[in-house]
Amino acid sequence: MSELNRAQQEFQQHLMAGDSTVVKRIVGDARAPAQERLDVYYQAYRLRLIEVLENDFAGLKALLGDDFAVMVNGYLHAHPSQHPSVRWFGRRLQEFLATVAPWCERFELAEMAAFEWAWGQAFDAADAAVREPDALARISPDAWADLQLELHPSLRFLQLRTNVPMIFGAVARDESMPDLVTETEPVDWLVWRRDLVVRWRSLTVDEAWALQAIADGASFAQLCEGLCDWHDVADVPIRAASFLRGWLTDGLITRISTN
Amino acid sequence: MGLRPTHYDDILATRPAVDWFEILSENYMVDGGKPLHYLDRIRAEYPMVMHGVSLSIGSTAELDLEYLRALKRLAARVEPEWISDHLCWTGVGGHNLHDLLPLPYTDEAIAHVVERVQRVQDFLGRRILLENVSSYVTYTESDIPEWEFLTAIAAQADCLVLLDVNNIFVSSRNHDFDALEFLRGVPVDRVRQIHLAGHSRNGDLLIDTHDHPVPDPVWDLYAQAVGIFGNVPTMIERDADIPPLAELLAELEQARALAADALEAAA
Repeated sequence: MSELNRAQQEFQQHLMAGDSTVVKRIVGDARAPAQERLDVYYQAYRLRLIEVLENDFAGLKALLGDDFAVMVNGYLHAHPSQHPSVRWFGRRLQEFLATVAPWCERFELAEMAAFEWAWGQAFDAADAAVREPDALARISPDAWADLQLELHPSLRFLQLRTNVPMIFGAVARDESMPDLVTETEPVDWLVWRRDLVVRWRSLTVDEAWALQAIADGASFAQLCEGLCDWHDVADVPIRAASFLRGWLTDGLITRISTN
Repeated sequence: MGLRPTHYDDILATRPAVDWFEILSENYMVDGGKPLHYLDRIRAEYPMVMHGVSLSIGSTAELDLEYLRALKRLAARVEPEWISDHLCWTGVGGHNLHDLLPLPYTDEAIAHVVERVQRVQDFLGRRILLENVSSYVTYTESDIPEWEFLTAIAAQADCLVLLDVNNIFVSSRNHDFDALEFLRGVPVDRVRQIHLAGHSRNGDLLIDTHDHPVPDPVWDLYAQAVGIFGNVPTMIERDADIPPLAELLAELEQARALAADALEAAA
């Protein structure tokens, strides 16, 4: 190991774990002793990454209040950043909050982290032109069965038991937060970007299944077949067509192919 | 001036008289959405330069080829006038500490950085600019002043220099050296850009925070720099407590007026 490498390992150990081995390498003087000088970096490391997560997880910050910084310090210790961009630093926050006490005792925290991470992913996902609802008018009746759809790259699916999307929305609009509500069964949510704006809405169970089936490459005929689990056979084509119109209106569909 | 998301719409609506924008490279290493949308629209109207924080040119970890590929892809999109990063390291062992950490000013560090700058420049197919960072520590093993360290690397690697006048001021106070001696120690022909910024005080140390207007002592030092380096493209950095666009434009006007005066005085 080179001397430079040793110095950097020791410096990093100071920042990450408070190890004082590096102190002997630093000049102390009348202006400030070595430890005080190193502490500037030690403090800045934490403050900077707390601020990054405050920006990326404003809803979580609202739920945690002053405990947010305590939480981030724990997260930073468990999952230090490994990516050149701080944009990826919160990648494992949901996992951390779902598994580490005391945070895992409030499962709305992990749910908010999952929702805000999905929001961030949708925000700068790849661009793709969307199809307009009138695209359906050009499809001949005998082509519908084989119809295949492609979804916008920004789509993210979530299952949540709490109303964290409403809390997030209130925080984003700078309004007072609604009370936390917990459902007995998880609710499906969709997060996506329309033009440059990130949107989200809840999904009924059949719509969530249908969208996931489309994402997995199902044809319109297969979609209709699957929807029979929830609807009478006679109602299924209307239900499926209504989903399709809604998805086009929401800007979820980038390609319609009829083989 | 520095391109910040909070100013995107104002820039497009008012088309301010800015010569070029500097982007933070890492903020645009994404797949799509708002960042790239505004990047392309503003790039269509203005020249740009790219400024990175994660090259980690002084680290003893391997150069991050994935990062370099992303940087090269972004450069192909932006076609920047130049690409810069910092003379520092940001982590080892796969970690990124997201800070611009100082190097010891030694022959070993010079040789290490020079070899890496050459590889980066070969990969990008162009010379890069390296910026002096603010520092709060001096390594006991440092045996030359910072400006000699910077100058040796620039000369041996044949790279260019982004001179941060605020960083020189901050470091000169923290380490009790003469800021003017720093300026005079850097070769004129290598300085391609100047950064100006504000700072904060923490006890007896000055901290590079980029959250204040440029203070008078930094303006004074900038006037000296213009006298030495001439009319070098200059930018004011603000990364926290970012004011409205008009306020930053006023500060930019101040820099232009001051540079004009300094050039006239030097003529």
